[in-house]
Amino acid sequence: MAELTADRVWMRQRPAWLLPNMWWLVVPAILFIVLFFLIPVLSLFASSFDEASPGVLTFQGRLSWDNYERIFTRPLYYTAIFRSVWIGMAVSLICLVVGYPLAFVIARSMRPGVVTLLTILVLASMQLDMVIRLYGMMVLMGDRGLINSGLLALGLISEPLPLMYNAFGVILGLVQVTLPYMILSLIGTIRSIDPALEEAARSLGSSRWHVMRTITWPLSLPGVYAGTLLVFALAISSYVVPALMGGWKVITLPIHIYQQIAEVGRWQFGAAVAVVLFLTSLFAMALYILALRRNAGGRV
Amino acid sequence: MNEINPVPFAFRLLAGLALLVLLVPVAIVVMAGLNSGEYLTFPPEGISLRWVKGFFVSPTFLPAFKLSFGLALVTTLVSTVLGTLAAVFLTRTRSRARELLRGLFILPVILPGVVLGLALYVFYIWTDIGLARSLTGLLIGHVLVTMPFVIATVTASLVDFDLSIEEAARALGATAAQAFVKVTLPNIASGITAGTIFAFIVSFGQFELTLFLSTPDLQTLPIAMYTSLRYAFEPTAAAAGIFAIFLVTVSTLLTSRLVNLKKMLRRR
Repeated sequence: MAELTADRVWMRQRPAWLLPNMWWLVVPAILFIVLFFLIPVLSLFASSFDEASPGVLTFQGRLSWDNYERIFTRPLYYTAIFRSVWIGMAVSLICLVVGYPLAFVIARSMRPGVVTLLTILVLASMQLDMVIRLYGMMVLMGDRGLINSGLLALGLISEPLPLMYNAFGVILGLVQVTLPYMILSLIGTIRSIDPALEEAARSLGSSRWHVMRTITWPLSLPGVYAGTLLVFALAISSYVVPALMGGWKVITLPIHIYQQIAEVGRWQFGAAVAVVLFLTSLFAMALYILALRRNAGGRV
Repeated sequence: MNEINPVPFAFRLLAGLALLVLLVPVAIVVMAGLNSGEYLTFPPEGISLRWVKGFFVSPTFLPAFKLSFGLALVTTLVSTVLGTLAAVFLTRTRSRARELLRGLFILPVILPGVVLGLALYVFYIWTDIGLARSLTGLLIGHVLVTMPFVIATVTASLVDFDLSIEEAARALGATAAQAFVKVTLPNIASGITAGTIFAFIVSFGQFELTLFLSTPDLQTLPIAMYTSLRYAFEPTAAAAGIFAIFLVTVSTLLTSRLVNLKKMLRRR
């Protein structure tokens, strides 16, 4: 902390030659982002207010609310919003319950080897291509998959369990994909809690669970908020998981977007669904940043 | 050394479960790729290199792997250069625009991949400047989503860098450019390398953005695997997955050597 403050002071007092007006350093990146990100995204959003013209990728220039009206009046679409949201919430909750203990072990282990190994495992599984991980999930959970063929071979069940191509499969797939983000969000906060607080409570006679409930958990809440919101935003934005694990039977917002564009050619409407998805995840992200701010005590 | 605060048993159990959730699917891909049967079932049928050999003669997976690899290399190069320059500016400027720019640069990863993919797809067709269904168009999309990772990693190493060293070089007569190249660059090299590895991996595994921008003759590995999973379920895809797993494991080990993991976690 002290180092950081000293650093800040020094940065402020830096001599002028360290910051010659070097805008040229950042200009290429800005141009790139404006040209290939801001303009495309903003024009996409603008086109969601355009009159629908199936199959034709042009601006009609006729303002209308039709696309949004369609989303909020047809059950097919607004139930997809609810479905996306409840699946996202379920995934966040499961990730929290399963991820918190592992984050705690990583944050608190006294053996550096264990910490490094576990951290690398979490990072590596996060970085591995999602489709590859979902391949493993599908081999595990399919009707002829490992779990079902194993249970059938042992005579425990007579028909395959429906583990996939339903909401259950989608949720489990999303948990697999987003769990590392939860764990990484939690490790930082848990590590910032002074273990001496826990020791003090223990030495005064509290049980481990009591310490966990009254000290560790409340102090790690900022990380909990941050992790759940991040996982929520990732879960509702995912196309590949509902597509593969849901077998197109669990229709979420990203699936609608793709279907509207690639199959029906109703792209202004797809753009409107995209705006709704973006606003939903932006809302979660705004909460995420607020949580981070509180976590960092105004340092971020 | 004993743990000061022992971890409750239920916690150890759930932590083990979390590890299983993370690692079992990966282990299964490896098993499926080395399996001798058509489908990985219980009990397993034995080990063979049949599907690995199949990968090397596959008309879809080998080209897809090569395309993903090449695309990730070029993406990494472009986003490392753009991102590093931007990070240097962001850590040294006094401009008020700094926070605004930081937000702008992080936006492409906050926006859902499907939305970004759709936006680029529509934009390419509208502008009609030859980017639609082209490798360059795909490359632009990948640079957009990898650059934030480079900027974040390089910024982190620049914040740690003590500017007085550069000042010393200047005082001893080096020009601004010399001081930067000979003193600062070597000092932040590990941060830049970590950023390039992140960028490579993110590009290599990019799916949702690529979905809108790829064509049948421009299939990256994730897209080829997705198609196989939806329609056929070929174990050759798992064999391709083994090579990708190897790639990621090596690069993660490299990253962990280059950057202080604990420090990175604290910054999050």
